[in-house]
Amino acid sequence: MLFAQIMVNGLLLGGLYGLMALGMALVWGVLNIVNLAHGAVVMLGGYCVYFLFTGAGIDPFAALPIAMVVMFALGYLLQRYVLNLIIRSAQLNTLLITFGLDVVLTYLAQLAFSADFRAINPSYAGANLTWMGVTIPLVRLGAFVTALILAGLLWALLQRTRLGRAIRATAQNLVAARLYGVNPAQLYAVTFGLGAALAGAAGGLYGMVSQVTPYVGAALTAKSFVITIMGGLENPFGILLGGVFIGIAEALAAIYIGPTFTDAISFGLLLLILVARPARSLRGA
Amino acid sequence: MGRLLAATLAALVMSLPVMGHAQTKTVTLGAALQITGPDGNLGRYFRDGYQIAVDRINEQGGLTIGGQNYRIALKILDSQTDLNLSVQQYGQLVTRDKVDFLLGPYNSNFTLNDSVIAEKYKVPMVSGGAAAAQIYSRGYKYIFGTSPPADNYFGSTLEMMTKLDPQPKKIALLVADDAFDVSVRAGVRALSAKDGFELVVDQVFKEHNADFGSLLSLTKSKSPDVILMGGHETESLNFIRQAKSLDVNPHHMMALTVGVPSADFRSALGKDAEYAFGMTPWMASPVIRDRWFGDAQKFAELFHRKLGYEADYHVASAVADVETFAYALEAAGSLDRDAVRDAIAKSDFESLYATIRYGETGQIDIPQIVIQVQDGKVVPVYTDHFLNKPRYPVPTWAKR
Repeated sequence: MLFAQIMVNGLLLGGLYGLMALGMALVWGVLNIVNLAHGAVVMLGGYCVYFLFTGAGIDPFAALPIAMVVMFALGYLLQRYVLNLIIRSAQLNTLLITFGLDVVLTYLAQLAFSADFRAINPSYAGANLTWMGVTIPLVRLGAFVTALILAGLLWALLQRTRLGRAIRATAQNLVAARLYGVNPAQLYAVTFGLGAALAGAAGGLYGMVSQVTPYVGAALTAKSFVITIMGGLENPFGILLGGVFIGIAEALAAIYIGPTFTDAISFGLLLLILVARPARSLRGA
Repeated sequence: MGRLLAATLAALVMSLPVMGHAQTKTVTLGAALQITGPDGNLGRYFRDGYQIAVDRINEQGGLTIGGQNYRIALKILDSQTDLNLSVQQYGQLVTRDKVDFLLGPYNSNFTLNDSVIAEKYKVPMVSGGAAAAQIYSRGYKYIFGTSPPADNYFGSTLEMMTKLDPQPKKIALLVADDAFDVSVRAGVRALSAKDGFELVVDQVFKEHNADFGSLLSLTKSKSPDVILMGGHETESLNFIRQAKSLDVNPHHMMALTVGVPSADFRSALGKDAEYAFGMTPWMASPVIRDRWFGDAQKFAELFHRKLGYEADYHVASAVADVETFAYALEAAGSLDRDAVRDAIAKSDFESLYATIRYGETGQIDIPQIVIQVQDGKVVPVYTDHFLNKPRYPVPTWAKR
């Protein structure tokens, strides 16, 4: 029974991890930017939902789309007016600038919101249901389902829409895409905005299962990074799977190896995958 | 003539404060605190505690050291919760900024490393947020601490548990892997063996852990009577929220080392904070007298008025650190670091925090008061006897 419970915990946690990584993978795959400020955007999404919930009384799940719109706007502007300036330069520069962005966003958040812990705590935050002796926390289940829905939407967007085709085309061959009339500056901004919107949704959910402080970002960036490499950059569901894989590995490690080993496990697995299947990771979207 | 008179008068008036100033010297206390970064939330308790104490002492005429009037100045750097930077900044405070004495950072890990600088340069450091035994067991002479020993944090809680009805037997102990919590764990292991409790879960998790799913599920499977949890405030918050969502209920009670006395903790958790047991070495009580602030209650009111949030034991401990220097400087009669160090070791005074006396190792030893959140308020429950009736056994999440 304990084993089943641990598996469920890992699965649900992994769904949330996967959602977090989704935005990073999209930006990485299309723009070839490893966004080190990704966790900071997740954090801002968390604050957004927190204030919509505590300030305006909007249910946190209903606030997710609003937070996504806000984060989309932020992401769009960041890419359009900051990141587009250096996107053609060496990858080290994009790493540097997103690292700088991470620092700036984190400290702006501390100035604006203080270092207080903010938990998004709707009345059903602690609710759960029991199924065959396994306790399933409702919010985590909700987060998992949300992750599935958003991954599905992203997949549909990429496969079925004109915008999605333009995004994929740009990722595959920029020159050819331009010949067909894609405006990369605009498209990059939209893609980065989509990535930020997904991060924003993940942040709101994270605030419901955990808490938001200006400093949660760095750890989430690292986790998203690992999952993105594991899940590959091609398919949103691959990313979710990567998240679930990490979630379950961590949950099992905490019990059977020791709770202090969870990070060692995720990064250890990353190393193993890079050694075993270097070709699969880091291929275009 | 009129102009000359006016100019003379103006010069005289302007020189007055300068003349007054010439007689007042300054003694500078320095600290590198976690103003930003993951510990920023608690680092500010020390910044604000140090500042309010220094301001108050200065407002009331400063100190008389060897017949000279002194004001206290405070030099605070932001270590950004970066341990290496913190050590570097303490070095800077001593060598570049030439501060006279050092106040400690928040938490045991930082103090453990920062106190090396104090020892190296033979500058006394008084730390208000460092409880781990490790810090004081190295034979250092220049580090003093106003946090009671970590290995006894759960001492009063365990003693209370032997007097509760129904009496708990099985304990689940979950602590973080930092210096402070490792000391807490060692203490609980020793004490629970002595009092005949059985540790059915005894696990260490990594510092700043955010997901307790596995540990909580393991705990649930062992059905303990009591959960004892040792971690920082963020971990305590995650732990309680996730315990609720996974429906993990100890049969009788849950107690945490850190978090419960802070207003921040209660506001983040809302009614889920209810029934949680915690501990504090300090309550804002009018019977604890203080030379500068009157008493602890008056201090708490002043603090809340000035800073806009509730003081907790971290703040009181920080004030006691500054007062330690104030008393020791007056007793030593000079700024000589070794003389002040010896005067600190002989400290014996009433402060709004507690009666300050340092033991052989430099650490204070005061009891933890067991507290419980009852109707949104922190209620003292037990020291070596019951102060108020605990709400016990604690109802399950489903029945609240």
